[in-house]
Amino acid sequence: MKEFALYAGCTTPVRLPAYEASVTKVLEKFGVKLIPMKDVNCCGAQYIESVSYNAFAAMSGRILALAESMGRDILAICGACSGSLKIVKHELDNNEKLRAEVNSLLEDEGLKYTGTVEVKHLLQVFREDIGYDAIKAAIVKPYNGVRLAAHYGCHVLRPPDIVHVDDPENPTIIDRIVEIAGGVAVDYTGKTRCCGGPMLGIDEEVAGKIGTDKIDNIRAANVDGIITACGFCDIQLTQVQFGNEAEGKERIPVLQLTQYLGVALGIDAEVLGISLNKISPAHILATQ
Amino acid sequence: MDEVNTAANTNHVPSSNFAKEVEAMPGGADIAKCIQCGMCTASCMVASTTDKYRPRKLIQMILLGLREEVLSSDLPWLCMTCRMCEERCQENVNLAEIFHAVREIAAREGYIPPAFKNAIDVVLKDGWMLEDAYSDFIEDDRDDLGLDTDLSWNKKFVAKLKKKYFKGVFIK
Ligand code: SF4
Ligand code: SF4
Ligand code: SF4
Repeated sequence: MKEFALYAGCTTPVRLPAYEASVTKVLEKFGVKLIPMKDVNCCGAQYIESVSYNAFAAMSGRILALAESMGRDILAICGACSGSLKIVKHELDNNEKLRAEVNSLLEDEGLKYTGTVEVKHLLQVFREDIGYDAIKAAIVKPYNGVRLAAHYGCHVLRPPDIVHVDDPENPTIIDRIVEIAGGVAVDYTGKTRCCGGPMLGIDEEVAGKIGTDKIDNIRAANVDGIITACGFCDIQLTQVQFGNEAEGKERIPVLQLTQYLGVALGIDAEVLGISLNKISPAHILATQ
Repeated sequence: MDEVNTAANTNHVPSSNFAKEVEAMPGGADIAKCIQCGMCTASCMVASTTDKYRPRKLIQMILLGLREEVLSSDLPWLCMTCRMCEERCQENVNLAEIFHAVREIAAREGYIPPAFKNAIDVVLKDGWMLEDAYSDFIEDDRDDLGLDTDLSWNKKFVAKLKKKYFKGVFIK
């Protein structure tokens, strides 16, 4: 059985626990066991990252070193965290001075970064560790023609030469899984554009407009739902549909990839936390 | 933050010591490769949403040495670091990292937007972002989903970082 250390990040456990639960349940079906990381800190994404490169490297570096002490590769399920951990790993592997500085901070805890662990985003585990054939073989309750738009998440895909997840211009992992489970993967304008989430801290109005633009493009493709693989994106794409700009428009349900797939694998919707979703995906589930 | 110096009271250095300063920062090395083609602005969702932000122009301001104007403005903080522009830039300029480098310089000199400052204070105090948001209600949801309710975040390490990297700079 393959095992990963799960780094769930700050946002998902509090704002989207259903994502954490559905990831755990779905991977378990495929024989992938997750060991939640304990005694971790925030990866430092966006905020610490903006003001101190060294402090950012230390924060993500400590998470990497903790995984080393567990002897497990890391699974990250949010774009921001998987991005940070991969970028810092890349830095520490290529910058000896920085590595020495981070290690000097970790020393008294008995931790050390040596570079032995890999960091994977959820989408990589599906493609590399489980594989499309195994996913196909496990479908017991296929959907029937439900139309779905994939949103991948910027930090999941970019920078591609560091994160190594998918083709950054034409990503396909979510779309393939959508189709394997019986849905129709629908293309739309600006598929790889940002959800606007990272703008929330500095200009909420602009963040709302960017998210709304994304939703409008998706709506124009006439879909039944949106599938995400980043907790932060999921929250933003849901939230913007409750804002002023969205008034009078029908809301498009946002489902985490693992919720969508989990139902097709025969896992109970309640176990996947679907009742916690703010926009009911009932009509998607009804196509089964 | 709101005080933007005008060209009139600032001495501009055409060779731009500011560009050199950014170049020497981690992540800032590639700024000189920019040929000012504008592809970044054309692919930026922030630029297409608001008139106040143009990544090409911001790079140009740095190259020209408009140090005070850049550091005292919101501009370097308006990048979402989505890296769409980097995907398109033919010169491999890593704008998101360059803007991070500029933010680090700005922060050292006390220019930091309140929302960022608050979030940094929280992370350096709690070790993570959402301690105050983690309610009993959410704990119940986690429990129902079969997830651990004890999130066990480490606070000690950030205290150490605060001492080492943020002492007397801008975080009180
Ligand atoms: S799409 Fe938005 S929320 Fe998701 S990783 Fe990118 S910036 Fe973050
Ligand atoms: S796309 Fe690259 S080369 Fe062109 S203006 Fe932007 S940073 Fe400069
Ligand atoms: S990384 Fe920043 S400048 Fe580049 S496209 Fe995204 S928001 Fe615009």
